[in-house]
Amino acid sequence: MATTPLLQVLQGFLQVSTDRQQLVTANMANVDTPGYHTKDINFQTAMQQVMDQGELRLQPASMSVDNLPERPDGNNVNIDRESMMMSETQLQYQMGVQLIKEEFHELLSAIKD
Amino acid sequence: MGIFDMMSISASALSAERQRAEVTSANLANAETTHTDSGGPFVRKEVVFSTTNTSPFQSVFNRLGSFGDAPSGSVRLTDVIDDPAPPVRKYEPGNPDADKNGYVEYPNINPITEMVDLMSATRSYQLNASAINAAKQMILESIDILKTT
Repeated sequence: MATTPLLQVLQGFLQVSTDRQQLVTANMANVDTPGYHTKDINFQTAMQQVMDQGELRLQPASMSVDNLPERPDGNNVNIDRESMMMSETQLQYQMGVQLIKEEFHELLSAIKD
Repeated sequence: MGIFDMMSISASALSAERQRAEVTSANLANAETTHTDSGGPFVRKEVVFSTTNTSPFQSVFNRLGSFGDAPSGSVRLTDVIDDPAPPVRKYEPGNPDADKNGYVEYPNINPITEMVDLMSATRSYQLNASAINAAKQMILESIDILKTT
């Protein structure tokens, strides 16, 4: 259990960002695998899943993205999209970490003062 | 663990792409090989990639303890297959590998195809190497939380 409700939310946010980054990494890894379809996370569902404490989380709420153009070998991974998603998720993660640090900082000043 | 899974997924892709580059290099190197141990000309090889798709049960099982199984989404080189294309026959009566009609069988290898394949493997390798760097940076950032004082 987290110390403050905000930390709880931020922890969930980092978890979802990590899950998304893992899917992006898997997409990048499978750029040459025939028949592979791009996977992505539904942020809302994933966040809900992470915040719901009672539920056993089997796998992150992933879904396959089907509106991308498919190559003749049945693979629809778009490297530009994945690179963009990777930078985006990395920045989101960085933001989450900064917010957590800020929260701890505040906690610490509340203890000290 | 999610964040370290990212690195092993990229690492699996790195090793798959490296093996692909190796097979392609072997094809290029043996483009003129007319004599092999098994007899006949060298046969062009191709790699088969596949993705590991673990079931939800197995992924939870893997998460509870480390069982060394590749995380879901990893790439595996499942097979190296022979190209079924027939060898190219050239008339060279002086060649020791020529048949009784004077024809020598050469491997059906197009250097341009192989070069393109090699470049594609290199690019994919670079892509996954940068993905590993991104994962590393994320891990370092989360370690930074510890430094808050």
